[in-house]
Formats: sequence, C-alpha cells, structure tokens
Amino acid sequence: MMGLDKLILGSNSFEGVSYISRTQSLYYLEHFSKEDNIVSVLRAALNLGIKSFMCSNCENVLGALNKFDRNQEITLLPVIPNAYEYAREASEKGVLGAIMTKAKGFSMYQKFRLGLRALAKIKSVIAKDVLNLLLELIHFELASFEKFKLGGVVLHGQITDLAISSHNANIIDIYQKLIKETYGVQPILATHNFGVLLPQLIEWKIKIPIMAPFNQKGFMMRPSPGKCEDLIRDTDYVIIAKKVLAGGRLSPEEGLPYLADKKLGSVVIGVGAVSEAYHTFSVAKSVLKA
Amino acid sequence: MAVIGLGKMGILHTALVNMIPLVELTALSDIDKQLSKYVQQSGLKAAFYSDVGQMLQDVKLDAALICTPAFTNLSLAALCLAHNLDVFVEKPLAHTFAAAQRMVELAAEKNAVNATGYVFAHIGLFKKAKELLDEKVIGDVFRFRSCIYISEVFAKKKGWYYDKSRSGGGAVINIASHLIYLLYWYFGSVANVFAQTLHCYSDVEDAASVYLEFSNGIKGTLDVSWSLPGYRLSYLELVVEGNNGTLELTNDYVRLYLHKAQKNIGKEWTTIHKIDLPQTSQFELGGEGYYEEDVDFVQCCLERKSPAVTWRDGLEVQRIIEAIYLSAERRLIVSVEGIDS
Repeated sequence: MMGLDKLILGSNSFEGVSYISRTQSLYYLEHFSKEDNIVSVLRAALNLGIKSFMCSNCENVLGALNKFDRNQEITLLPVIPNAYEYAREASEKGVLGAIMTKAKGFSMYQKFRLGLRALAKIKSVIAKDVLNLLLELIHFELASFEKFKLGGVVLHGQITDLAISSHNANIIDIYQKLIKETYGVQPILATHNFGVLLPQLIEWKIKIPIMAPFNQKGFMMRPSPGKCEDLIRDTDYVIIAKKVLAGGRLSPEEGLPYLADKKLGSVVIGVGAVSEAYHTFSVAKSVLKA
Repeated sequence: MAVIGLGKMGILHTALVNMIPLVELTALSDIDKQLSKYVQQSGLKAAFYSDVGQMLQDVKLDAALICTPAFTNLSLAALCLAHNLDVFVEKPLAHTFAAAQRMVELAAEKNAVNATGYVFAHIGLFKKAKELLDEKVIGDVFRFRSCIYISEVFAKKKGWYYDKSRSGGGAVINIASHLIYLLYWYFGSVANVFAQTLHCYSDVEDAASVYLEFSNGIKGTLDVSWSLPGYRLSYLELVVEGNNGTLELTNDYVRLYLHKAQKNIGKEWTTIHKIDLPQTSQFELGGEGYYEEDVDFVQCCLERKSPAVTWRDGLEVQRIIEAIYLSAERRLIVSVEGIDS
C-alpha cells in the first residue's frame, strides 16, 4: 500500500462549496461547470508536483478527469459516499430511493460503468442488512473511478461521525477491511469531530488515517482547538489536515505556518483558480517543506 | 429517552442524543419493522418498537423526540404526554394550525417541557444577529427583505412531503418556516400578511412571495422557492434597515453598515464572518445547531425550564403560515391575530 503525498489538491471549489459567501459559491458553480476549467487547475497543480487529488464522484469532476490527458499521472483519493447527492432525496425516499433516483439519470453505458450488479444487490440487501448496503454503496460509488489510479478511499465525514455517534466499531472495521482487501488501497476516515473520533479509534484498537479540520482559526476543530492540538501532539496516527485556510478566511501566508510544527501526514488544500493554484502550492511547498 | 420516527431527521437526532452525556437512549420506534435490523446493526443499545403505544408501555422513559411526518405529530405527542413525557417535535409543529394549537393545550395541561425543531435558534451567527438587533446597533428597525432558497424540486414528486393533507403544504411550511421563525424571533408577532403562492411542479406550492406587517410596525418581504438551481444547501438572506444603518445576514456572515459607531462597532462597513465567531459546538453532525438544539432540550428537561424554541413559538410560526396560505387562497390581506381554530 503506497504512502500518502504531503500535499493533496481538494475539490470543494469544483463542487461549488464556499464558506465565504453565496457570490463565491455561485462563481465556483458556474466556472467549474465547464470541465476545461477544472482541467486547467489539475494541470497547474501537477506542474507544481501535486500529484494527489481528493474528490467526490461529481459529474463535472469525473468529466474533467476523463478529459485530462495526464490523468494517469494523478493519484485519486475519492470521498464516498457522496452524501449531499443522496441527502436531498433521502428525506422523502429513503437512502435506497435516493440511490435509485441518481441511477435513473444514467445512460445504459453509465449504468454499466457504475455497476448495475451493485445496484441490483443494493435493492436486494437493504431489508436484510444495513452493513451490506454500505458495502455495496461503496462498490457502486467506486465504480466511477475504476479507470483511474487510486491511492486511498475516504469515508465521508457524515458516515464516519454517524458511526462514532452510535459507538459502532463494526462499521469502521468492515469499511477498512473492504478498502484494503478488495481495492488494495489505504482506507481513510474523514470527520468533523476529530476530538471524539481519535480517542474512540484508540479504544477500539483501529489504526487508520484520519482527515480532519486543522487551522489557525480553530474553525471546525471539535470539541475545541486546544483538545485537537493536544491529541495530534501525542498521536502516532496518520493525520490529514483539511480546511487549513479556514474555509478561505486565511491567505496561504497567514494560514499555512500554523501547520508547520504539527505532526501531519498530509495537507489537503482546495483552490479556485489557476493563479491561486500556483500561489498556494508554492507557499505550501516552502512552508511545509513538501 | 426515545426517538420516534427513523427517517433522515430521526436518524440524525438518534445519533446526536446518543452523544450527549447524561442521556440514555433506551428506545427507538418506527412503523417500518425492517428498521429493527438497522437499529441492531447500528450498535445502538436501544430497543426497537414498530408500535409507539407498546414502547410507552414497556419502557420507562423521561422524554421523547418525535421526528415523524407532520400529520402524525398531534397523535404521537398526545400519546407521549399521556405517559408524562417531555417532548421535542421536529419542525413544523404540526400540519395544521388547529393540530398545533391542540398540542400546546395538551402540553400546558401536563406541564411538560416541550421544544420545536427550529434549528436557526441554535446557530451562532443567527444568535449574533439577534444580539446586534436587540442592542439596537442599527437603531430602530423599520423595514426588511428576506429570502430562503434550496434546489430540491424540479419535477412532480410523490410522497407525504408533497401532499398538503399530510405535510401541511409545500415550500412555505417546509422551507420558509425556518425563516418565518427567525423573523418572529427577531421582530415579534406578525399583524397582517399578504401572500401569493406558485405551483410549478407540485400539488403543493413550490414558491411564495409574502408581505408581512409586524405588530410593532416593522414591514418587510419574504421570498421562498425550493425550485431554484444552484442551492445545494438551503440559503438564507435577510437585509434589515434601521435608522442607524443596515444589517445583512446570510448563512456565512453578518454585514453591518452604520451611520454612527455603536456598541464598539465602527461607523460604516463591518463584516462578521461565521468562521471568525468562537466555536461553541462540542459535536457536529448534519450541520451546525442540531447538537446544541438537542442539548438545550435535555438540559431544560433536567432543570424544568423552557427550551429556546417552545411549542408556543412553533404555534406562532404555524399561525403565520396559516395566514399566508389563507391570504394566497383568498388573494386578500389576512390578519394573523385573527387566525384561530
């Protein structure tokens, strides 16, 4: 199993996510609805030696990856399942209904690519076995990435945090075994509750890389920035920092030095333009000695 | 404690209350018997019941969270109150004003702690805006405009959510109710409304435009749609005008423009970003505020206090919603105070 790169390109801006303003979110949505604009950022990152890309299976992101002539030079870290895609439909249709709705929009070719076998199995197992449903959902979503090189698979924070809130070691354990044994890559857990997850994993004796917010503003560092900093100081777990520029409130020069003395395996940084990619990753390489 | 209804919101509240120290989650209920498997496998140490009545007979409970479709809220709340439980009900309080009013009466008879799930009351940035308005930083308020949008409905959909007899309505009761609560929280009771609703895809309304006159003289507009592209998550905007300037509130920031410095806030432009506010949440799942909402309910149960959003508050929101629907139907200005079952 390969190790993780120090610097990883994130995909929030490609998906229209902004913590700053609606105006910025709309700009991202429109700008990155054109796959060529994502390709340009991927190329810029690659030119700077950033070879890992963390993303979900959004249509525009997958389209850009397919278009990019250097896509085999990139190692992908898919974040699954794409919780927001399902959440919209799940309130009135349940999770299965949401999956089926999403699948309805696919062409026959896409259905084949996305794993009709998995889809049929999802239908058959839901009534019997929720854990199997999760596993089939993972197969279903990873089918989108089958032609690319995978370096790891990240369990979406909503699922990780749901599992820890029900004190359920089984879900995490089954997930990590599946990713290691079936896909031969590194399982990773995303969380918005680092201070709860890490002690819980230690108690369960499950050692797995964790991706969590770490930034100078303490944004989303739960239960408190101090507790998160104490935990990271003493742990031998691989920690991947995200939200490192506090959702865009900090410039790379302001935000990245905070990370320099932290015991971090990797740092995920999202950028919203080619010029931003050159600037941000240049600063990151210098400050984080990557 | 028990959670009734294991849909999206029920699963969310189940996870959240299970993280609150002092809470013992002992029972879960849903009419779908197949969900017993989910409960077993999720690792929750709670008994599953497909019959709420049976659950209330078998399990010793102090409180329940009702997260079922709105049309079931009155009957389930009555059942829980009859067993002397404190009760949290997800928003809206009920599918009709009459049902919501009956719930408030029942809770008063039992002296039960009661809460409604209008989560905006627990979001740091919205609390900050309330503080600024209460401190009269922008002076006396006279006017506002507001909107709330989400990308959710772009074709006719089926299910209880789109059936007025079960959900109580469409975008107004399900989406705008959050904003209506916020306006009620900030400005008090509403005197009159004039509304128009629009049906583009659904049997229930997909959009609405509302003109509101508050009892204290504040006037403003509310616009809602669940059929606008580009809003993956719900987005709110409120611009308030006062005689010392304006306050603009969104999901991301509060922006002030002050004619004169006030309460340590300088003249002209100041922006307070959500990210810059101190973080108070110990745990997060499903978005900001939900954990605090459940903690507030639990603490109020223990201390026999009123939660941040009571059923009476939920009823006032329901009264405004009822007036909006009546106004849209009759094409007339409707007195909110005149709404009674």
